[in-house]
Amino acid sequence: MDGENISGKVLSLMEENPGITTKEISEKLSVSESQVKETLESMSDIRQKVLIVDDEMDALIALKVALETEGYNVVEAQDGYEAIEKVHSERPDVILLDLMIPGIDGFEVCKQLRSDPLYSHIPVIMLTARGEVDDKVEGIELGADDYVTKPFNLKELKARIKMVLRRNQD
Amino acid sequence: MWNRKSRWNLILFAVVVLLLISSIFFLWMKTNMEVRSVVEEQYQNQQLLLTRQIASSIERSLNERVLLLEVIAKKDTGVPPDNYLSDLKSVYDVAGMFYVVEYVSEEGTIVSGYPEDNVPIGLNLYDSKQYRAFEMVRDTGEVYVTDPLKLMEGNYGSFIWIPVYEGDEFRGAFIAIIQESDLKSRYVSESNSSSYAYLIDDKGRLLYADQGDYPRRASYAEVTASTSSGLSDIIEEQSKGGDGTGKYLVLDNGTMVEERLVSYSPIEWYNQKWSLAITSPSSDVDRLIVSVYLKLFIVAVVSVLFIVFVSSFLVLILFNWSKSLEKEVDEKTQELKESNESLRAANRKLKELDRLKTEFLSIVSHELKTPLTAMKTSSEFLLENDGCGLQLKEKMLDIIIRNIDRQSRMVDDLLDISRIESDRMKFHREPVEIENTIKVSLEVLASSLKKKDMTVQVNLPDGLPLVNTDKDKLVQVFVNLLNNAVKFSNEGDMITIDVVEKDDHVEISVIDNGIGMGPEELERIFDKFYQIDSTSTRKVGGSGLGLSIVKGIIEGQGGTITATSEPDKGSRFTFTLDKQQDEVSE
Repeated sequence: MDGENISGKVLSLMEENPGITTKEISEKLSVSESQVKETLESMSDIRQKVLIVDDEMDALIALKVALETEGYNVVEAQDGYEAIEKVHSERPDVILLDLMIPGIDGFEVCKQLRSDPLYSHIPVIMLTARGEVDDKVEGIELGADDYVTKPFNLKELKARIKMVLRRNQD
Repeated sequence: MWNRKSRWNLILFAVVVLLLISSIFFLWMKTNMEVRSVVEEQYQNQQLLLTRQIASSIERSLNERVLLLEVIAKKDTGVPPDNYLSDLKSVYDVAGMFYVVEYVSEEGTIVSGYPEDNVPIGLNLYDSKQYRAFEMVRDTGEVYVTDPLKLMEGNYGSFIWIPVYEGDEFRGAFIAIIQESDLKSRYVSESNSSSYAYLIDDKGRLLYADQGDYPRRASYAEVTASTSSGLSDIIEEQSKGGDGTGKYLVLDNGTMVEERLVSYSPIEWYNQKWSLAITSPSSDVDRLIVSVYLKLFIVAVVSVLFIVFVSSFLVLILFNWSKSLEKEVDEKTQELKESNESLRAANRKLKELDRLKTEFLSIVSHELKTPLTAMKTSSEFLLENDGCGLQLKEKMLDIIIRNIDRQSRMVDDLLDISRIESDRMKFHREPVEIENTIKVSLEVLASSLKKKDMTVQVNLPDGLPLVNTDKDKLVQVFVNLLNNAVKFSNEGDMITIDVVEKDDHVEISVIDNGIGMGPEELERIFDKFYQIDSTSTRKVGGSGLGLSIVKGIIEGQGGTITATSEPDKGSRFTFTLDKQQDEVSE
C-alpha cells in the first residue's frame, strides 16, 4: 500500500481523535501496526532525506553510514529503476547518483527526473569513477546540480550536499 | 562491348578488307582477259599456220601432179606409138589422185587414156563442141585448169589441160581430171565438229564448204550475209589472194550466236587462184584456257579466304586484346575495391578495438576506483568519528579489507591477461586430480553459492585418470566458470559439472540453467574486454576478463574451450585437459 495514502489518512484520524493509538489506527485502516508506526516515524522525521543510487554495496554502505552519522535520513537504490521508484515513494531532498548502474544508467535517470515537473526540483549530485570532462559536461547539461568524481573526499561530498540543499531552499 | 571509336575502326577495317577482296577479283578478271587475248592470238597463229600448211600442201600436190604430165608433154621424142598410154598409166599410178588422164591428138580426138574404163576413146572435141579449152592451151601453150565442173559421173572435178609439144610443134594435149571428192578426202579431216573449212575462188565464189548447204559457185559473201557479220570483209581479203586471220560473228535472226575465228591462206594452181579458210568458234579458246580460268579462280578464292581468315583473326586478336584490357581494368578495379573494403574493414576493426580499449580502460578505472571509493569513505569516516561504536568501526574496517582483496584480485586478473596477451603465462604442469581441484574451487565459491541458495552437482566417472596441468590455474578456471554460472543464474538454480574421459584427454563441462545468451553474445564472450551489455555486467560485476583468462589458460596448455548457450535456458562451457601420460604408460 502507498505510504503517502496512509499518512494522509493517519493524519485525519489523529485530528479527529487526538488520543488514538497506533493499534486503533491500524485496525481502522486495516494495515499492520508496524506499518502505521513506520509511517508515523517517517512523518515525524525532520531530517533531510538523501537517496544514494549505487550498485556497489560496499561503497553504498560506507557512504550511508557516514551520512547517517552526519544526521541525514538515507535511502538507497541499486539500479536505475529502483532509483526512480524510490524518488517517487520517498521524495528525497537530494539524490547522489552513480552513473554506471544497471538497468537505466545515471544519465537516463537524471533525464527522466528532470522531465517530470513533480520531481524536477530535486537536486542531483552525480557520482562517478569516470572523470572525463565530457561526462561532466553531459551530466551538467542533463540537469545535474553537481558532479563528484570517485573516490571522493568525504568532507567535500558532505559540503557539496549541504550546498545544493541550501541552494534549493533559497 | 564495342564503344563508338572501336566501331568506327571496325567499319574502316571492313572497308579495307572489302577493297582488298575486290582488287583481287579485279586482278583476276583482268588476268583472265589478258590470258584470253594472248591465247586467242596464239590460237589464231596456230590456226593460220595450219591453214597455210594445208593450203600449201594442197597447192604443192596439185602442182606436182600437173608437173608430172608437163614433164611428159615436154618430151622431144614425139608422140610415142602407144599414144603416151604407158606414160599416162605410170603418171596415173604415181599421182594416185587423178580420176582419169587422157591424151587428145592435135585433131582434138581422144586417142588414149588411163584407166581405160573412164576414157571415151575416139571422142572428138570439135564434134562434141568441147574444144574451147583445147584451143586455148594450143594457142597459149600454157597449162589451163578449169573451175570444178560437173562430170558425167555426176560429181565435180577440175579439168587440167596440158599442151603437148614436140619442139615448137603442137601435138595435142593431156586432159587430167581431179575429182573434188578425192581432194576432200585427202586434206579435210573431220577432226572436230566445231571447226570447218571452206574454199572459195578469186571471185569469192564458193567451191567447197564443210558446213552449210549452199549452192556451188554462189558468192559466199552473199549467201552468208544474213547469218554472219564481218565475214564479207574476210572474203574480200581472201579474193585478193592474201593470207591472214580474222573474226566474225554468227547471227541468228540478228542476235549473236557465237564468235568465230578465221584463218585463210591462198592456193595458187596455175590459172586457178583459190583461198582456203578454216573457222573455229572462239569458245574453243575458252575451252583451252578454262583450266587456267579455274586455277586463277581458285587462287583468287584462296586469296580472299586467306584475307578473310587473317582479317577475322586480326579482329579476334584486337577484340580479345580489348577484352583482356577491359578484364584487366575490371580486375584492377575489383582489387582496388577489395583492398578498399579490407582497409575499411581493418579501419572498422581498429575503431572497434580502440572503442574496446577505451571501454576497457574506463571499466578498469571504474573497477579500480570503486573499491578505493569504499575504502576512502570508510577510512575517512573512521578518522572523523573517533568515538563511534565498536560495531560500526568493525563494519567499516570489514569494508576496507574486503575492498583491498577485491582490488588485488583485479590487479591479478589484469596481470594474467597481460601475461596471456604476451605469451608469458607460465604453467607449472603436474599430475592433478580433478576431483580434489573441484572441491577446492567449490570451497572458494561456497559463500556466493550459499548467498544465492545454489547447489553444484559433480558427475565424476569411476577411475578417472590424473590430468597434466597447472593446479592453481585449473582452480582459477573452475572458479571463473563457476563464478559466471552463479552470476548468471537465478536463486536456487543448480550448476552441473560433468567430467568425461576421452582418448587422450578429459572433457569437463560446467553447465548452468541461468539466463543464457544469444548467438551474437556467444560469439564474443571469449574476446578480451568483452562484457555482455554493460548494464547487466554491472549487475553481476566483473571486469570482463574472466573468460579471456580461462581461454588463455586452457589454450595455453594445448586444450580447447567451447561454449553453447540459449537465452533463458542456460549456458554450457566445455574444455579439455590432457591426461597425465606417465600414468597411462604405467
